[in-house]
Amino acid sequence: MAGSKAPGLAAGIALAVLTATASAQAPGPFLKEQVKLGADIYERNCAPCHGPRMLDSQVPVDLRKFPPEQKDRFITSVTKGKNQMPPWGGLFKPEEIEAIWAYVMVGEKQ
Amino acid sequence: MRKLVWSLVFFFAASITASAQTAQELLRDGNGGSTDNVLTYGMGYHQQRYSPLTQINRKTVKRLVPVWSVSLANEFGEQGQPLVYNGVLYAANVKRVVAVEAATGKQLWMTPLEWDAAVARVVCCGLSNRGIALYEGKVFVASLDAFIRALDAKTGKELWKTKVAEWKDGYSITSAPTVANGVLMTGMTGGEYGVRGFVAGYDPETGKELWRRFMTAGPGEKAYETWPKDDAYLRGGASTWITGSYDPELDLTYWGTSNGGPWTAVPRPGDNLWVASVVAMRPKTGEIVWHYQWTPAETYDFDGNNENLLADIVVGGTKRKVLIHADRNGFLYTLDRASGKLLAANPYVKVNWAERIDLATGRPVETEVARKLRAGEKVEVQPRWTGGKNWMPMAFNPKKGRIYLPMLEETSVYQLNKDLPVYKAGERYMGVTNTTADRKPGEPWGYLGALDPLTAKPAWRVPLMEFPSWSGMLSTAGGLVFSGLPTGEFLALDEDTGKVLWQFRTGSGVNAQPITYTINGRQYVSVLSGLGGGTSSRRGTTGKVQPGGSVWTFALMAD
Repeated sequence: MAGSKAPGLAAGIALAVLTATASAQAPGPFLKEQVKLGADIYERNCAPCHGPRMLDSQVPVDLRKFPPEQKDRFITSVTKGKNQMPPWGGLFKPEEIEAIWAYVMVGEKQ
Repeated sequence: MRKLVWSLVFFFAASITASAQTAQELLRDGNGGSTDNVLTYGMGYHQQRYSPLTQINRKTVKRLVPVWSVSLANEFGEQGQPLVYNGVLYAANVKRVVAVEAATGKQLWMTPLEWDAAVARVVCCGLSNRGIALYEGKVFVASLDAFIRALDAKTGKELWKTKVAEWKDGYSITSAPTVANGVLMTGMTGGEYGVRGFVAGYDPETGKELWRRFMTAGPGEKAYETWPKDDAYLRGGASTWITGSYDPELDLTYWGTSNGGPWTAVPRPGDNLWVASVVAMRPKTGEIVWHYQWTPAETYDFDGNNENLLADIVVGGTKRKVLIHADRNGFLYTLDRASGKLLAANPYVKVNWAERIDLATGRPVETEVARKLRAGEKVEVQPRWTGGKNWMPMAFNPKKGRIYLPMLEETSVYQLNKDLPVYKAGERYMGVTNTTADRKPGEPWGYLGALDPLTAKPAWRVPLMEFPSWSGMLSTAGGLVFSGLPTGEFLALDEDTGKVLWQFRTGSGVNAQPITYTINGRQYVSVLSGLGGGTSSRRGTTGKVQPGGSVWTFALMAD
């Protein structure tokens, strides 16, 4: 299985539905499978620059702090590229980019 | 009448030849040729990056001032080395090639390098172009999307364009091409995408491919015994992303090769020739005459690509033709460049994966750290995967017998994943989880230093506390060593002490390759400024240094 390690999920997740920290802007809810898919895509394609589990980022972006209310900006940046980041829209389906969003929002916050 | 016509044809042909840079000039560049020109990557086929010029020296350097600067309109970073011929300076980055008057900076032409933005998906570590080649009136440049093209040196007009490889399969090019023995050669990159590395030779006149020498051995080759008996060699890495050096007398060109593919060596048991090696090839055919492998069974991302510097030095009382290489794996090597025999290998930074290189076998003696890593444990590895030294080239002063280089001292936390990676064309093919260990307070990122190539003993080392240096070096007979910092300073150091004698803050980080040359007897120094080109060179600079490319040229202040 391609780069399937998703350390943030290793402890087992009791809830089928995950949400970010309780706030008015909390994104989601996200399905467990969606976050897992996002983690897999992230680990293979995003981690080399943004760091494994979003730690040790090699680029000037800390995804752990990405504003939850700016989903549109996230989706657009991933799809079309931004600054040094290439466009990923040609490689991933919209639902896969949604899965990356789910992982970035909640995948390492459990 | 016919005789007259032919006379005219010969006359014009001779005129063109006289104004176009020749094979003979390439041979003499950095080797007794005119200091008015810089014609090769590395300031000579030997890549010594040494100039006999003395006008700018320890005493006069305080009068060194910028004489012009031009924007390169590029935020991706500048790593390139400019070339100079007949008073024209040619520079390239990932977006364009420019020709300017070297004395004034006045633009003569600019040719854009267009590529699909999605190509960046298959460039692991920064969007870059490290330079061009010049030959017989043409400028040769490779673009990120793995095309090589010839431009008219006078106008910048494209004369031909040849596809080297398919970027959608993970291939790209960031290195400068080179012309040796009449053959235009290029390497490629993509070691993180399961490519099969190669060097290719082209006819400079037409762009026709003459040969392609793969850097992973396949069935039918003896070196295939170092691979599993399957098709792992087809995705085995060994990319060739730094321009090879060349010895015209031996007619050998020396290319380094990258990490293996995937990063984890588990699915490719064996030494995996010619991964993480230097190969000596015939430029006319690509035939491999000898090889030496820096890191057998490579699984650390220790690319062996960076410069293979050629020098003639005394070893054990005898003058030898040697090749000097400071590998990412932390060892500084000297080889006999006619035979590939190992003469010396010593650590030049902190190394914990191998205790030494066995001079009899030429192989590293791996440590417990390496054993644990190969067994699947999470370990701290020194050097970090980015190496004790990365791509940024060192310089060699033949009079002093010293190399000048930037050194990196970092530690990685590194583990081979339990699940083996699955190959998909154009996607990452790694199988490793790697992060950086925290540095202890007060520990430097690395050093700028002067080392003895045979012992790795430093004449001096300047610790770098704020950021590491990702800049190439230039040595001159004026007693100076030029280099740069990510914070933008272009530096002149005393070659004997490392003391900073002069500095000037350019518009962005300096992580490129300075050159020096003369025009009408005046010595100039040029360097590109522009943070980035390598992802790791930008770490920690967020909000502190702004990107943005430009060319800077310096000379002594006129009376």
